Formats: sequence, C-alpha cells, structure tokens
Amino acid sequence: MHNIFSRVNNVSALLSSCVMGLLAAIAVMSMVSSVFEAPLEGGSVVVTGVTVVPGKGRQHKYEHARVEFEIDSDLSPLFNWNTKQLFLYLDAEYTNAKGVKNAVVIWDRIVRRKEDAKIHVAGRQKYAFKDLSGFRDAAATYTLRYNMMPHVGALMYGTAGTTNGTVSFPPMINHS
Amino acid sequence: MWPTRIRRVRLRHAAAATYLPHPRQFLLQALAVALSLSSVLMAHTALELLTNCKSPAVVVLSASMEPGVRRGDLLLLSNYAPQRYANGDITVYQVPGHAIPIVHRVLQTHDSPLTQQFLTKGDNNDVDDLALYDGLEWLEAAHVVGKVQGIIPFVGYVSILFNEMPRMRNGVFGIIGLASLFSS
Repeated sequence: MHNIFSRVNNVSALLSSCVMGLLAAIAVMSMVSSVFEAPLEGGSVVVTGVTVVPGKGRQHKYEHARVEFEIDSDLSPLFNWNTKQLFLYLDAEYTNAKGVKNAVVIWDRIVRRKEDAKIHVAGRQKYAFKDLSGFRDAAATYTLRYNMMPHVGALMYGTAGTTNGTVSFPPMINHS
Repeated sequence: MWPTRIRRVRLRHAAAATYLPHPRQFLLQALAVALSLSSVLMAHTALELLTNCKSPAVVVLSASMEPGVRRGDLLLLSNYAPQRYANGDITVYQVPGHAIPIVHRVLQTHDSPLTQQFLTKGDNNDVDDLALYDGLEWLEAAHVVGKVQGIIPFVGYVSILFNEMPRMRNGVFGIIGLASLFSS
C-alpha cells in the first residue's frame, strides 16, 4: 500500500543508502589516491642534548631522560580533501639493559591546517621519559611519525624524519 | 441446543477474522521481520569473525580524543594477532571491573619476548591514562578490545540519542515493529 509510512520509509532508506554509498566511495578513493602519493622527503630530526637524572615516580625510583631536539619537516603534501588532521609524534626507541624494547612518545602535536604543516620545532620533550632499570649503555633512535586522520575512512600512518643512527644516553648525573 | 451452539462458533470465527484478516500474510510478515533481525545479527557476527574483534564497531561518547575523533563518530576496529600495539595506534581498551570501554592513543610501549606493557593517553587530555587504570600500572593485550582502523563521522549519533532517551528508542522501535507487522 502506498500509505505515508511506506513513502517515508522508502525515501529515508534511499537517502541513507546513498549517503553510506558516498561515504564508502570517498573512503575508498582517498585510500587509493594515498597509494600514488610520493613519500615525504627532506624531514630531519636532530637530538641536540640528552641528560639523565635520577627521579621518583609514583611507586618506584626511575631514571629520567631529558631530551632536546630540533625537528624540520614539511607535511603539507599529506593534506588533501579528506584530511581532518595530522597527529605528529616524536618516538624514542631503545632497548634497555634488561632486553626490553621500549618506544616512548616524548612530544606530539596536532596539525589541523595545511598552513601549519611546515614544522620547525627546536624544543624539549613534553612527556616523561623514564626507565625503571635505567638508560645505562643504551642508545635511542628518535623518529618523527604521523597519523593521518581522515574525515571518513581509514587511519594512515607514516614516518616524516628520523635521526641519523642512534643517540647514546650519557651516564646519570648524581646531584647528591 | 444445536442452533445456539453453531451461532457461538460463528461468532468466534468472526471475531478472529476482524483481528487477523489474512493469517498467512501475517505469518509471512512476521517471518520477514525475523529475517531482517537475524540478518543484522549475522552481519555483526561475520564482522566479528573478519576483524577478530568482539565489538568491531563502536560509537564514541566522550570528547577526550577531539578533534581527531569526535563524539558520535563510528569507529571500525580490528584486533588481529599478534596483539601487539605500536605508539600512535588508537586502541579501545577496557579496564577490569569497568563497564565502559575507552578509546585512547598509545603513548608508550615496552616489549618483552612474551608480554607487552603499554600506556595510553587521550589526544585532548593533558595527562596520560594512569589514573584511569584503577591500580594497574600498565595496560596489556588482554585489556584491549581492538585497534581503530577507520572512522565514519556522525553515524553514531543515532545510537547516542537512543541511549540517552530510552522513551524515544522504545517509541521508534515500537512503531517500526508494529508498522512492519501490520502494514501490507
């Protein structure tokens, strides 16, 4: 029967399937187009200073690392019509004396506009960088990574720069 | 005795006829409703199998990952082996004893050959999630529901509305159910 309910039902079903189809098409197209994009070039990460100091966590004594760094990277090619934002993070990766593989984010930034995507930062870490068993004889690689978050579709990850080789941790400074 | 008895039977039949004019059609429609319900259930189970994740689609309720993940976004998850997570991954985890899962990004990972310990943080929060872990010092794979693979915006608002206004939910489902049973 062509009553009001069936009409509303048909129209809303058509509308919602059209919208879902469009969203799926956008998601697939931006995934496909990202395959053909050139990889990012020219990014650099330089660690300008590392110190290790004793520190207290909530429950244990830790060694704290303090890192100063310089980042240069142009992430504007990652902005296309389906980019909502980039989540940038500086990852410190090292293996400690106990053989545990650690990866610690020491700095991050959200980039929401293409105009802000040319990154030049000379600064220090935002987040605690500590190790229970200590940084003795360890050396870390610092890598700038990004997570491209789309308006609709799949999250994408990549690398925007890394240190040349590893950076050793110096011996701990004891103030006492 | 006979005539009255016959009349009574006829009356009963007439009453049934006004409630259900076409019993065969009514049964067919009930079958159609049951089929559509079971196909939704089957699709969900198929997604569970494909993604290896017990809740392959979740709706975001809070603003702790704004502006990358917004309230009302539908997130698509997967949780394939090996269940190891990397910094930058957005995980959905559930602390033992807490009903509501949390969607936050991995900030630290510490990998041993057999286990992995990690720490998370919401993009929109100033501090990491240690205070949310309810006494745990680290998250482990057993706490993780899945890893976010994709985002569909706004779709989850329907479910948020329904959850916050149960009367509206009951009304809408009631009307749809009745209409699909009785309309022809």
